[in-house]
Amino acid sequence: MEIPFIVNARKDTGLFNSKVGIWLFLASEVTLFGGLFSGYLFLRLYADYPWPERALPVLPGLINTFVLIGSSITVVFAWAALKMREWRKFQIYMAITLLSAGLFMVLKGIEYNAKFGHQAVRLQGGGPVQDSAIVEGHLHYAELNDEGLMVEVDEDRKKEDGVFKANHVLIKASEFTFVLTRPTHEAYVKEILDQAGDRSKISLAEPYRVIDKDELNAGQMNRDQLSNTELARIAEKGSELSIDLLDKLEDAFLEARSHDRKIRTEFLAASWDWVRNVKGEEEAATFIVEKEIWKDRRAEDAEKLKILSLRAASEVTFKVDPPLTLVLKPGDLVKKVNVGDLSAKLRDDTLVSGEVLPSPMIMGVDALDFRTTAQRAEAEGLDPVPVIEETWLLNHKAHHGSHDDHGETEGADHRNEFKKIWDCHMAWLKAETERLEKKGRVPTLNDKYRVNWDQILAYQALDYDVEKVYEQGKSRTLERNGLFDLDGFAGANHKIHKGKFPHLEIPRANIGFEATFTPKWNTYYAIYFTITGLHGLHVIGGALVLGYYLFFGRKMYDSNPEWLANRVEVGGLFWHFVDLVWIFLFPILYLM
Amino acid sequence: MSADPHDQHDEHHHVLPWWKKYFFSTDHKTIGIQYGLAAGAFLLFGFFLMIVMRWSIAYPHEPLPGYMSWMFTDGWKARWLDDGKVTGETYNMFGAMHGTIMVFLGVVPLGFAAFGNYVTPLQIGAPDMAFPKLNMASFWVYLAGGLVMCMSFFMESGAAKSGWTNYSPLAGYADKQIVNQFLAGQTQWLIGLVLLITSSLLGSVNFVTTIIQLRAKGLTWMRLPFFVWAMLVTGFLLLLAFPPLEAAGIMQLMDRVVGSSFFMPSGLYSASSGAAMDISGSGSPLLYQHLFWFLGHPEVYVLLLPAIACVAEIIPCNTRKPLWGYKSMVWSVVILGFLSFIVWAHHMYLTGMGPVISTFFQTTTVLISVPSVILLTSMIISLWGGSIRFTMPMIWAAAFLPMFGIGGLTGLPLAFNLADLHLHDTYYVIGHFHYVVAPGILFGLFSGVYHWYPKMTGRFMDNFLGHLHFWPSLVCMNLLFFPMLTQGMAGFHRRWYNGGEGYIEKGVEGVNVFGITVAEKISLNEIMTGSAIALAVFQLPFLVNMFISYFWGKKVTSDNPWDATTLEWATPTPPGHGNFTFDPAIYRGPYEYSRPDHDSDFFPQWEEPKRDAPAKEVEVEPEKTTTMV
Amino acid sequence: MAGSIEEVKKAKKLYLFIGTLLFVFTVVTVMVATIEWLDFGEHGFDGVDATIGLCIAAFKASLVMLIFMHLNNERPMIYFFYILGIVMAFFCMWLIGLSKSDPIEYGNESYSDGFYDPSKPATDVHGN
Repeated sequence: MEIPFIVNARKDTGLFNSKVGIWLFLASEVTLFGGLFSGYLFLRLYADYPWPERALPVLPGLINTFVLIGSSITVVFAWAALKMREWRKFQIYMAITLLSAGLFMVLKGIEYNAKFGHQAVRLQGGGPVQDSAIVEGHLHYAELNDEGLMVEVDEDRKKEDGVFKANHVLIKASEFTFVLTRPTHEAYVKEILDQAGDRSKISLAEPYRVIDKDELNAGQMNRDQLSNTELARIAEKGSELSIDLLDKLEDAFLEARSHDRKIRTEFLAASWDWVRNVKGEEEAATFIVEKEIWKDRRAEDAEKLKILSLRAASEVTFKVDPPLTLVLKPGDLVKKVNVGDLSAKLRDDTLVSGEVLPSPMIMGVDALDFRTTAQRAEAEGLDPVPVIEETWLLNHKAHHGSHDDHGETEGADHRNEFKKIWDCHMAWLKAETERLEKKGRVPTLNDKYRVNWDQILAYQALDYDVEKVYEQGKSRTLERNGLFDLDGFAGANHKIHKGKFPHLEIPRANIGFEATFTPKWNTYYAIYFTITGLHGLHVIGGALVLGYYLFFGRKMYDSNPEWLANRVEVGGLFWHFVDLVWIFLFPILYLM
Repeated sequence: MSADPHDQHDEHHHVLPWWKKYFFSTDHKTIGIQYGLAAGAFLLFGFFLMIVMRWSIAYPHEPLPGYMSWMFTDGWKARWLDDGKVTGETYNMFGAMHGTIMVFLGVVPLGFAAFGNYVTPLQIGAPDMAFPKLNMASFWVYLAGGLVMCMSFFMESGAAKSGWTNYSPLAGYADKQIVNQFLAGQTQWLIGLVLLITSSLLGSVNFVTTIIQLRAKGLTWMRLPFFVWAMLVTGFLLLLAFPPLEAAGIMQLMDRVVGSSFFMPSGLYSASSGAAMDISGSGSPLLYQHLFWFLGHPEVYVLLLPAIACVAEIIPCNTRKPLWGYKSMVWSVVILGFLSFIVWAHHMYLTGMGPVISTFFQTTTVLISVPSVILLTSMIISLWGGSIRFTMPMIWAAAFLPMFGIGGLTGLPLAFNLADLHLHDTYYVIGHFHYVVAPGILFGLFSGVYHWYPKMTGRFMDNFLGHLHFWPSLVCMNLLFFPMLTQGMAGFHRRWYNGGEGYIEKGVEGVNVFGITVAEKISLNEIMTGSAIALAVFQLPFLVNMFISYFWGKKVTSDNPWDATTLEWATPTPPGHGNFTFDPAIYRGPYEYSRPDHDSDFFPQWEEPKRDAPAKEVEVEPEKTTTMV
Repeated sequence: MAGSIEEVKKAKKLYLFIGTLLFVFTVVTVMVATIEWLDFGEHGFDGVDATIGLCIAAFKASLVMLIFMHLNNERPMIYFFYILGIVMAFFCMWLIGLSKSDPIEYGNESYSDGFYDPSKPATDVHGN
């Protein structure tokens, strides 16, 4: 059996099968990206926070656009080469196309990587508008000292054991209570055991028991005997915590619960039968509330039920000796904790008892963003600038080891470094506003309330001298040649500008919302990663197909070159579509 | 023509290994049957979930009988009962999965994929689908998606529990306590959904390409059987409507797995953890609803069209007269397909959309009833003056017409904004679309099974068991779904797990009108539950019938046992690999029954005209036009 | 679609030319977005910039479709598929965008999200 029109076109439609297929597929792709673009449009038009306009470094996107356009040309040339039966040329063009795909993905990877490592925090506290000032930057690293307190360490040591990113919650754990109805503890138990190591012993606080079921089932016991019977011991007091032990306890608990429920179910069903038989079907219909049944059943039946039941605890407690300082990711806790809280709950409902230790976020800040503050202040009818100046960020006292130590020794200047940056920014803004006014224009929200990494560095270079900033702002010598700055290729570069970015310690209580520049941070990054990620998958898929033709196409070429040409045309159509999507993605994600 | 499928295929008579023949087959017929069996199994499971739910509605305080609870007791990993009773959470879970299974795993694969796969290539004279391997991939991806969804019953979280529509923010938050989100039922649902969508995209590309490219000689567009037209339109619906839901599915997956806020608005507070949710906010639940219903409404027609298609094949064959208004039916189905894309927001009148957009969708919704009515009317008129043979398929098809009629007409009040505000999310809506889907679509598909079974197996299905299946089903369906309309108008909400018991008011009349209304109508629950269980029992004759007829059914005496005119009856029985033993050519339209100038009462499409027939029929003309518009 | 060898040869020149155009227009887009004296409309990004950017993108996209994807010389059926896809995607975007711009107003407060601020005084439908 042979399917017709694989190579040659059908006469009346003028098309071969795979061409119809690919165009249909592309039509569905149009609606797929249509759906995603609808999402973009909707989220952007109705965002309740200032949409991050032109937030991405343009250069990687621009290069990627060139790469994709170039590969579009080469793929169509590869097809033309096949049409002219030039195998060698086909190979060359196709190889260039694949290399372009690789280059595209590498650049994408660099961009993604920069985002994943870039921390953002929405601060709370200070002023009438809560939860709004945003700082961006890189997290520093920390470890525990001998007293179990958090101390900052140099970035070079980040791969060492015991060193963690300075965004963890520290709890002095003295007790763990595991919930046995939640059977997936593995990840956390492993983490706890790892951190405990040899330092602390974690052992069962009370023996875990259920009643011996076999005897009960055999009907050999009554209630009086029961109280004297030794309970079936599943685990002794002092057993050390392990995943196996927890599994065993869970099994015992679930088995006991299953046993209980089974007899309760049978009892309930029998009660309903009894109600129907004794009271009659009519009246049974009024017995809608369960309690009435239990009340009416003979008392001794209810008593029997109690006797038959096993009683296994659904929670087990383990003691930690000596108490252990546990380092936990904030995302592992069901809700935020503050310093001094006496317990915290993990996502699997495990209760960690113990005091929450000071565990600030420590970061090098490379951008301040008050746009949300300004927007919310304006919504309240307030002047944004004083509101911004009341925020915690601009008023807190700097902690040890930060760059503004020398400022304090002079005695006169009590401003923290962020206030200094802000003051410089106000000076620059004044110069910029005056310059734009001459052209009949006004600064944007971005200009006014966002301080970028390059601005921070520029202000710092002028020693936060407001006058100088104003002067240079007027003469426009502060601005960097943004687009082609290689040290800002994928955003602020903390390696090149090591140690320059202001140091900030944020107490847990002042963290409103924090995330790296991943989809979690805001809907812009969410849609950015979703669309470009999906587009990247298309690039990979297209490259796989084209690669197949390049490396395994020779056989097809030898049997019928036109067949391969058709295939490459179809693969090429897909490739052009991928390019076409990028043509829209580049402006809407990078330039708008 | 021989009934032996192997006659033509001596040249490649190599025997395929059994797993290639029955499992990883690229033959459209095997794949169609695979789809049918898998979808049937899913339908039964979805039905089972429904009976559990109905038990909970009628007898909320009674433990489930053992034959319902065995799968969900504490002894198993699926521990979803509380002392044998269905809890509210369990009810939600079963409700969500019942809808999902029935729509995405049951009826669509059965109608579009199973019947479409088996019948379409045969009706257009193609040796197979245009891309057989893609076809196979489509089935296995579908099965993987379905199993992923159903497997989640046995996970810690249980299966998805936010309704079959999976609205955010509920769906974005449910199961958030699960540490590894990929092991949460709510996430599994999304993964399954993305797989299902991928499967149906592969399938629909394949269908449309096959219909466009692989038609036999002389099979012009207006000679296509209506079944093929319906499949073509369905293919386009799936092709263009599903991707936005795939986008929404991916976005919701992101919301769940990486914590984004596509559909999560600002200011959400979680009562269970007692704190503001750790999300950025600024997303929109409304966006999800739009993207969902952009698929959701065309999906209704994806469910419906294959059933109409089956019925439209069976009616002319059993009335022995042409389908009335074939051309207007074709145009109706095309217009129906197009309009179905711009009616979706009538599912969302209650979301706070303003009057302008509501009026737009109200207008298009009313418009779409025009082609639907044309379809149904044409089929009813087709019965007029026919000498109807009440064969098993015809009985089902005949029952389809009024049942689907009730389903369609009860939909009209829902199209209007004002009426819908009252009826939204009540049992009226449930009654309406179940009338469309269960006694409507499923009856249509049953008729298809009885109609094509002889072609698939070479044996008829048993008539007695057929009647034993049909009559009780018809009665039970109506007893099950008609009271829903009553309850719905009285205000019964569709998500009450205890049937509304909490609202009953036994006190003085006039104080709590709603409570008294609920008390009046609540006893209907027991009738409906009883009917549902009876309905399940009376599906047994069908299952038995399918099985025993395969071995002991009455054998067919010719390849065309129903004396039908369309091309699938020109193949050997059952058709072998490659389908046709001759090179099919088409000489006339699909429903040439009782032609006065022909000796027998049917004139098959493939039969060469006699030499003295009028000249215009002799020409075997491939169609000249190259476009379908 | 170019069939014969001569046509393909001729088409290759066209492909190069179109490729160059695409490069040029990409640069133009970036210039319009980043260089201040090319910043039309208000200072910074605004609707005018969006329109210009999207128009250029649409122009580039049509070049790719027409020349690289051979739509300039393709069967009408292909147009039908593609245009159907675009029309549906357009409906999707347009109607979804429209739906929220037309919320039911509750006095002056829009609560189309399902959220409205209870601390604000409620007004009746006439805005009193």
